[in-house]
Amino acid sequence: MNCTRRNFLIGGSTTLFLSGYFPKISFASMQKKNLIIISLRGGMDGLTAVPVIGDKRLKKLRKKLILEDVLNLNSDFGLHPKLEIFHKLWQKNQAAIVHATNIPYTGRSHFDGQNLMETGAHIPYKEKTGWLGRGLLASNIIGKGLAISLPMPLLLRGVPQNNNFFPSPDFVETKLIDQIYNEFKGEHNELIKSTLDTIRQRPLSMQIATDSDDRKKLALEAAKQLKDQSGPRVAVFDLDGFDTHAAQGGVDGAHADELEEVNKIVTILHENLGQAFDNTLILTLTEFGRTIKQNGGYGTEHGYGSAILMAGGLLKKSQVYTDWPGLKKKELFEGRDLNSTIDSRAVYNSAMSVCFNQDPEFLRKEVFWGDELPDLSQDLFKI
Amino acid sequence: MSLNFYRRVAFGLSPHEKPDKDPLNWAINQLDTIPDLLWPGTIPTEKDLRKKYGEWVYGDREVLRKKFKNDKHAYRKAKDELRIKTGERYFELNEHAIRHFQTKYSKQPVFERFWLFWGNHFAISEKDFLAEFSTGPYQREIIRPNMVKTFEEMVQSVTTSWCMIHHLDNSESFGPNSKKGMEWGETINENHARELLELHTVSPNAGYTQEDVIQLAYIMTGWAHKWDRKNLETGDIWFDQEMHQKGDKVVLGVKYKNDAKRELAKVIHDLATHPICIKFVSTKLCRHFITDEPTDEMINPVIDAWNKSNGSLIEIHKAVITQAYKYNEITHKFHPPEIWLMQLSRMFDLNIPLSFEKMNYTFKIKPNNRQRQLSWILREIGHSPYRAKQPNGWSDLEVDWVSPELLLRRFWFASVELPMLVKSGNRSHGFILSCLKNNFEEHENMASLIDNFRFGTSDYDLGQKYGVICNLPGVLKI
Repeated sequence: MNCTRRNFLIGGSTTLFLSGYFPKISFASMQKKNLIIISLRGGMDGLTAVPVIGDKRLKKLRKKLILEDVLNLNSDFGLHPKLEIFHKLWQKNQAAIVHATNIPYTGRSHFDGQNLMETGAHIPYKEKTGWLGRGLLASNIIGKGLAISLPMPLLLRGVPQNNNFFPSPDFVETKLIDQIYNEFKGEHNELIKSTLDTIRQRPLSMQIATDSDDRKKLALEAAKQLKDQSGPRVAVFDLDGFDTHAAQGGVDGAHADELEEVNKIVTILHENLGQAFDNTLILTLTEFGRTIKQNGGYGTEHGYGSAILMAGGLLKKSQVYTDWPGLKKKELFEGRDLNSTIDSRAVYNSAMSVCFNQDPEFLRKEVFWGDELPDLSQDLFKI
Repeated sequence: MSLNFYRRVAFGLSPHEKPDKDPLNWAINQLDTIPDLLWPGTIPTEKDLRKKYGEWVYGDREVLRKKFKNDKHAYRKAKDELRIKTGERYFELNEHAIRHFQTKYSKQPVFERFWLFWGNHFAISEKDFLAEFSTGPYQREIIRPNMVKTFEEMVQSVTTSWCMIHHLDNSESFGPNSKKGMEWGETINENHARELLELHTVSPNAGYTQEDVIQLAYIMTGWAHKWDRKNLETGDIWFDQEMHQKGDKVVLGVKYKNDAKRELAKVIHDLATHPICIKFVSTKLCRHFITDEPTDEMINPVIDAWNKSNGSLIEIHKAVITQAYKYNEITHKFHPPEIWLMQLSRMFDLNIPLSFEKMNYTFKIKPNNRQRQLSWILREIGHSPYRAKQPNGWSDLEVDWVSPELLLRRFWFASVELPMLVKSGNRSHGFILSCLKNNFEEHENMASLIDNFRFGTSDYDLGQKYGVICNLPGVLKI
């Protein structure tokens, strides 16, 4: 590992000090832009997904978890071999990584952490809406959220009329709805009635029964919807199982299985979005990273800093964007975790500003209570 | 009085029940005693289930993880076997059966509605293996017996229960100046203290500060599980003086002198009798039974009853029911999926849950599909009761329960699954009509909507009929 804090700061963060935002009103900005978030619940291990190459200390602390066949990204970072699609897109400037990043949460509770990754707040359970929902509302984009899950995820709450897709195991005869629709009278039935409207307006493809455990089918449908110029602009996927306290493994362990799922979803989205992929951003979201050191079960414990995997045509270029804190004991958070040097909310805020054609400064105030979040859109995304 | 009152405060009327001449008294008379649990199958104790929890975590963490550290396939296989042996896959199913048997057959269904309410007010959300082993018995042994005591007593029991302490990490909270805190360089975990304030008692309306949370966390230090190598975190709760923060504490402006384990009861007394707590919880009760946005006019009589009775839950419950009765005709309330399912089960005498003989489990193979059915349905309709995502439990607001897929799941259940749960003697059209008449003023209109299928008794026909009936506005809400 020959990169230091210093040379990354030169490459990365200088633009933090540039202020002012100049929205470009061009044909490109009239095209529908998609923002897709994939939640990785349980704590995604950034050092397994995007390992630093040749770090002796990491090798020593993770004897049983070291990857043999990493895909090279650059001289400093590699990619887990299961993340093939990101490697492929990297060649085309359509994949990038933000590393050593996390939401500003240093407790190690999944529940508090997952709540905060969705609300974007500082105190668990205090906020009842998600940053993405608030971002849509502030941008006046209503009825364009699609959740690939049964309940409406907290992340999307705060804006009305979201759709979700998570079909029941059997065919549902929506003509039953036609039979009772007119029974919903009066103001107190308005919410149900308008939701029934949403259901009735769904394309046929969203009415088929499917195995909702089959994420492939769900991703395929999501791609179809996102591709539609009048369809959703935001989609949220939910994956769990990243909490690998045991048998985490290297190339082929429990964490690898989960990364493979991410890879699958992004592959399907890429294949099926077609041209729309050029106007799409896909970002992962997790509550925390994992400890540097392997535990007694060849797994890892809850940590702090992690990474954001990004894909899509709206990325500026392939890069590992980081202010690398290092892995020496004194450089670690509380002596055990990769530190977080970038508030990941800055990345999400910038991504929203690009996809929703909004001033990041405005979103920062509307969505994140004016918290200090530098505008990274010029560094990370095409604007 | 409309028949919907029986669904507002209970689960509707079964085919064997008739509307009472005096519905208000019918409801109020159900609140003085704790009805027995009726489930004829096994009802394991909290302590026994905690032991199973211990066997499971010990077996996984201390044995299997080490034994199979290089072989994820062998590890998964061994882990699956351990799940079967310890009942990790079974006990939650049994708890759902106990719960749904109770709401279906209880002679005091109004009491049972309050049981569901309090279990959700003091929610145990999905964490570790609580849903698998502990949340069910917590509902039975901690929530239920306290429902004829005072709110304060309920808070005391909940706060020192193993389940809540584990749920909110109080065993990991050390007074920084305590013996163990100093030796191990540990400090407080504020989780439990924050939720005791925010969710269980005074709510953020009390305007407490971060310092109040810290001070309350100090008071709570020491209330922890007894740890040992074999039982790990599943030992009984005790007060560990060596974890307890020394010195006086101040919460919401009240000083609590250094008094070891007695500090907690004192602060809980003050929190549970705080006017803002009384208002917060009274509002929540009214929201649950009357309307999403209850007015002061609705809430105030509940607060009065609370004050007059010094927090007697019996009196509070009676006041809530009186208000629910008073506002029955002019308010609407949406039913979350589980309550909807319970009502359908009672009104149409569905085969839910499975008979106790068939729920019997050998701990040798995975529970079968029939045994998993109720829990599976609950999950599919989006309301697996012991798996709330957050410590604030399941929402009482309609807006949180109305999404396209969540509504579609109800259509799915009513038209596809429900027909298979209709008892063989209940398949005639006449049976449906009599159930409708028993429970709905507008039964004639409902009947007209399914008239096309009046001659049909196949699963398909029943699906068409129930698919319509169960999703009518007057069934989804009152």
